[in-house]
Amino acid sequence: MNISKISRVAGREFASTAITKGFIIGALVLPAVIAAIMPLVILLTMSAQPPADTGTVYILDRSADVSETLVDRLAPEAVEARWKERFDDVKEFAKNAIPMADDQKDQIDQRIDQASKTIRYPEFRVIPAGPDASIEELKAEMQDQVASGAKGKGDLETILAIVDIDTDSTRKVNEEEGYGGFQVFLRPKLNDETVSEIKDGVRWSIRQRRYENAGINRTQVLEISDVDERASQEITEEGEKKASTGITTFIIPVVSMILLLIASMTGGQYLLTTTIEEKSNRVVEVLLSACSPMELMTGKIIGQMCVGLSLLIVYSWLGIFALFFMERMDLIDWTTIVLIFVFFILAYFMFASLMAAIGSAVNDMREAQSLMTPVIMMMMLPYFFFTPVIRAPNSMLSTITSFIPPISPFIMIMRVASNDPPPVWQTGLVILVNAVAVVVFLWFAAKVFRVGLLMFGKPPNLRTLIKWVRMA
Amino acid sequence: MSQAVSMQGVRKTFGSKVAVEGIDLSIPEGAIYGFIGPNGAGKTTTIRMIMSILFPDRGELSVLGKKSAVESKDRIGYLPEERGIYKKMKVGAFLMHMGRLKGLDRSGLKPRVMEWLDRVDLADVHKKKCEELSKGMQQKVQFIASVLHDPDLIILDEPFSGLDPVNMRLLRNLIDDENKRGKTVIFSTHVMHQAEQNCDHVVMIHQGKKVLDDTLDDIRKRFDPRALHVDPIGGVGRSHDVSVVPGVAHVTPIDGSLEVVLDEGIDPQQAMKSLLDAMPMNRVEIKRPTLEDVFIEIVTGGKRGADAEQLRAELLAGNTDDEEVES
Repeated sequence: MNISKISRVAGREFASTAITKGFIIGALVLPAVIAAIMPLVILLTMSAQPPADTGTVYILDRSADVSETLVDRLAPEAVEARWKERFDDVKEFAKNAIPMADDQKDQIDQRIDQASKTIRYPEFRVIPAGPDASIEELKAEMQDQVASGAKGKGDLETILAIVDIDTDSTRKVNEEEGYGGFQVFLRPKLNDETVSEIKDGVRWSIRQRRYENAGINRTQVLEISDVDERASQEITEEGEKKASTGITTFIIPVVSMILLLIASMTGGQYLLTTTIEEKSNRVVEVLLSACSPMELMTGKIIGQMCVGLSLLIVYSWLGIFALFFMERMDLIDWTTIVLIFVFFILAYFMFASLMAAIGSAVNDMREAQSLMTPVIMMMMLPYFFFTPVIRAPNSMLSTITSFIPPISPFIMIMRVASNDPPPVWQTGLVILVNAVAVVVFLWFAAKVFRVGLLMFGKPPNLRTLIKWVRMA
Repeated sequence: MSQAVSMQGVRKTFGSKVAVEGIDLSIPEGAIYGFIGPNGAGKTTTIRMIMSILFPDRGELSVLGKKSAVESKDRIGYLPEERGIYKKMKVGAFLMHMGRLKGLDRSGLKPRVMEWLDRVDLADVHKKKCEELSKGMQQKVQFIASVLHDPDLIILDEPFSGLDPVNMRLLRNLIDDENKRGKTVIFSTHVMHQAEQNCDHVVMIHQGKKVLDDTLDDIRKRFDPRALHVDPIGGVGRSHDVSVVPGVAHVTPIDGSLEVVLDEGIDPQQAMKSLLDAMPMNRVEIKRPTLEDVFIEIVTGGKRGADAEQLRAELLAGNTDDEEVES
């Protein structure tokens, strides 16, 4: 093996893949653009709400106890006040869900305020039907209206709903039986918010009346049921630390795994393309007159490894920067980052060996597809495993799958990045197992590569590939 | 003189198909050798084995004094039959890459590339992408890639296919120049007259076997067809009159003239005289054997008839293919 030839091949491989407009735009600029567009998309979705419903709600209050409270509850001012309150809750949640700096919190406040202006909430005219009103008549009236095609938006005359409240809904008729309830008749195609606003209003009003009839102070009950809990802390070796929330336990392992997958798949895919290209435009024989098949394959694999590595470096720096600006550098675990790189090398070499073997065996991309299918399916496995593995990083399933190459690096990185990392000896053993697997994969690829490169014609199936391995 | 390439009893099979069977070969340094034979005869397989791109199943092989070409790749220049080029790469960059792969230093490489491009009349293309060049131009670029590192052994597989007559002559002169500088040249062709124009030594391969290995002069002497071409006044209708002339074995009309095969032991000079005495002639000349004739004679064992004609047709078909590309 001649090092200078290998590095020459690797250099060309890297330059012709990574130093192109397509790669730079696709790999680096695109994620940045997506990150910039994201808030815009969210705003658009929020403002793309359907127009709010406006109309009449009839109350057929057989208990003659609820309607007064309900009229107040569904009055336009009351509805508006509740929606404002809801926005404040959203603001509060958004600020605490994701770790971020103060000025970012202000920005989110502003965005939500803007969005709240564009959202319109339903407006009701609530009419208690008299004691002698018939539910059948009201239903018939609503049906006539629907049939005549009267619109449900922006016209207070439109009947949106008829609420039928039971006689015993707020007062028990006898002690053995429970309270009665209510039923709502709705105009078709109402917004979900409208329906829940009405139902919640009825339920709230009935409860309110029950409390009062029973002589219980509702505010007091609420105060009693509400138990405050401050953010829990973990006592670690270094001292007190904010306990990992759902988001950090989930996001960091998954992001690490996906990063690993993207980096090794990208390099491998490019390796497949360039190998097929060199084979189909016959440049391969010229190359083989200058270097051996092994030097060529090694050079190509190393060249594309640098492509994957540069993706990995750029993306992991982006991640570190993001955490830095969110003032959550404490989330960064340098061991995990080092292991991402170690596992990348292992995963990439296995994937790249397969790609080099496939690329050398086929004549064009189309023929490659059929051989690629099992490989791609295998690479999809980590996705299926991520929920069980993250939930229980040291379960039997997690431990076993993390020892099976070639998916092993992807599973292991999730375990390592989780809040319950495996013992160090397991990490060491997994690295060892994968290193052995890499040697086996490379050996297989080398055999196929040497024979496949100069074979033209019928694309091989698995059996022919095995024959080539024996031949070489 | 030491040997540039030597092969003993080399055999190569692909599955059940025998591509090359027991080839012995010895090519001295500084020679210019032509490998000839029809398509699929085993020329490319032989060349690939010399290049150590393929490895023989059996037999000994040495290249430039080493057991395999792997150890002396940088001293060998190779133009494969299947032309390969990085389409998206610029011509200059491609040649620089190939030069450096062949072990040349970066320093002095660029002037060298430019000088070669100039020699093949492509001085202005080094900034163009390879895919923008015509097929003939690409072939010249590939020829440069194979000789750029000043190799001692130059192996060209079908170097002339796809070139117009002007470029064919240019390439022929470049090959001659390299040979005059003491470089060993091996080239293969299925168009036999190209070998006649270029080499001093010919190796003929047929169905994986070497059927001839000699200098062109010796081949001409050995395969003297003892035949004349005659155009009697009165045309081919007088073939019977010609056939009764003493010393004439038989007469075949070919393309409006007559091919006269002489009896064993007859001196052609004497026969020409007898023919001229027998009747007035527009033309009488001694037939010179072409490599095609030699090839057909070897393959058919000197018999004439349908087999020979079919073989000739096949060889000519190969030629026409080529000429179509050339035009």
